[in-house]
Amino acid sequence: MLALERVNVRIGAMHVLRNVTLEVRPGATAALVGRNGAGKTTTLRTVMGLAARSSGTITFAGTDLDAVPPHRRPALGIGYAPEDRRLFSAFSVEENILLPDRVARTRNADAARKLERVYETVPELKELRRRPAGSVSGGQGKMVALGRALMIGTRLVLLDEPFQGLAPALARRYGDALRRLRERERELSLVITESNPALLAGLADTTFVIERGEVVPAETAPDHVG
Amino acid sequence: MDPILLVLATLDGIAYAALVFLVAVGLTLIFGVMRILNVAHGGFYAIGAYAAASLVLSVSGADLNPWLTFPALLVAAGAVGAVLGLVIERGLLRHIYAKEEVLQLLVTFAAFMILEDVQRLVWGVQPYAATDPVRLLGTVEVMGIPYNAYQIILLPAIALLVLVGLRWFLRHTLSGKVITAVTEDRETAITVGIDARRVFTITFVIGAVLASLGGALASPTTAIQLGLGAEMIVLSFAVVATAGLGQVEGAALAALLIGLGRSFAVYLVPELDVLIPYMIMVLVLLVRPQGLFAVAEKRRI
Repeated sequence: MLALERVNVRIGAMHVLRNVTLEVRPGATAALVGRNGAGKTTTLRTVMGLAARSSGTITFAGTDLDAVPPHRRPALGIGYAPEDRRLFSAFSVEENILLPDRVARTRNADAARKLERVYETVPELKELRRRPAGSVSGGQGKMVALGRALMIGTRLVLLDEPFQGLAPALARRYGDALRRLRERERELSLVITESNPALLAGLADTTFVIERGEVVPAETAPDHVG
Repeated sequence: MDPILLVLATLDGIAYAALVFLVAVGLTLIFGVMRILNVAHGGFYAIGAYAAASLVLSVSGADLNPWLTFPALLVAAGAVGAVLGLVIERGLLRHIYAKEEVLQLLVTFAAFMILEDVQRLVWGVQPYAATDPVRLLGTVEVMGIPYNAYQIILLPAIALLVLVGLRWFLRHTLSGKVITAVTEDRETAITVGIDARRVFTITFVIGAVLASLGGALASPTTAIQLGLGAEMIVLSFAVVATAGLGQVEGAALAALLIGLGRSFAVYLVPELDVLIPYMIMVLVLLVRPQGLFAVAEKRRI
């Protein structure tokens, strides 16, 4: 589904990603674990086209993403929930979740059906939907960002440190939502970054460990990072 | 203060604020979306004024219905704004979005200078006056003082219409929401499928049309001559900075504040009338560096 092949990213003088190679199969849940600053976020941003790579290729469902400008990648079915939520505070929660489909001019009936499906996966969102996005708590905001990413990501969803900063109760509900998602959408590929791999136990079926911008074999990595 | 002067100063201030608002709101909209302070905006205003005056003069001279001068103002504004906006954004700004802000500012300043020369080339150095629209609307009496209806009714009405219309457009239409999203967070907008570059073009053209509308509407009230654009860009920058960059509603209130401040200065302390708008700006920015209506930006790491 998603394949990175010897991807290098430099930001200024920093060599942030070094020959990153990884592959995520359809329906797989891949964990990308590593310390803060190891390159997890940059990896996801590079897939979205937000960070420019200096070499290497990224293919998605057989398409070289080089040929796809960043704003067209969502239309391929790639959803992305950044670590810091990044909701549009001028809109309500539901407007945030629906914005991608409005932009893509999805038929109203189709968008409503997708929205209902997202509400079934993340039921917390239904109660929040009329709230201004600027007024929800940080943890609730993460749920909203997940909902928005699910509306776009019909084939691949990238979640950047979803559990970071979540209170334990919310983290459990977020985990429940991911498990429901896993059961309902068997074909969907998931990439989840995390500095504490224990949080992804039972969810991930593949784990990539990234250290100083390099993907290292999982078995040689220290079992506790971050 | 003489009550008659008080009323006159208020009316002058309102009329002037209406024009300044039209220019400032475009400037602030463009800044909000593109993070570029567009100095060329003053050129759009000036060329809008020249083009409108030329069109009004040819309508007046051509034995047509004199009321056609009103649509002529709008046509001139729309054409100038759309053409210049497209040419500057596509031809110039598009290539420097990734560059540092100072360079972007200098490029729009260069565009402003080029537009000044265009005015000199096309319209020469003699002033133009095309006052038919003001004459046609006659005068109204406000608290016993006759004042021309064009400046005290039409201009504020159009400014209000633009403010309400723009608010409605930004909140209730898809294009407006897309512009709002890019203003708030360009990167995230891209990840939900928004073509930020297209939004830049649309926003820039809307801003340019508003600036040239300001110029076109100002043209019947004043002698149009070189230097018009420079005065307006500096003043509308003061309005935008006072309100807070990117604030649409704030720009309306700041325009009123600065318009009134300036007109009262004209009557009370005429030696300070040029200075007052900037004194207001400096005072506001000393107390609230982010402007009257902007919330201080959250730091993102």
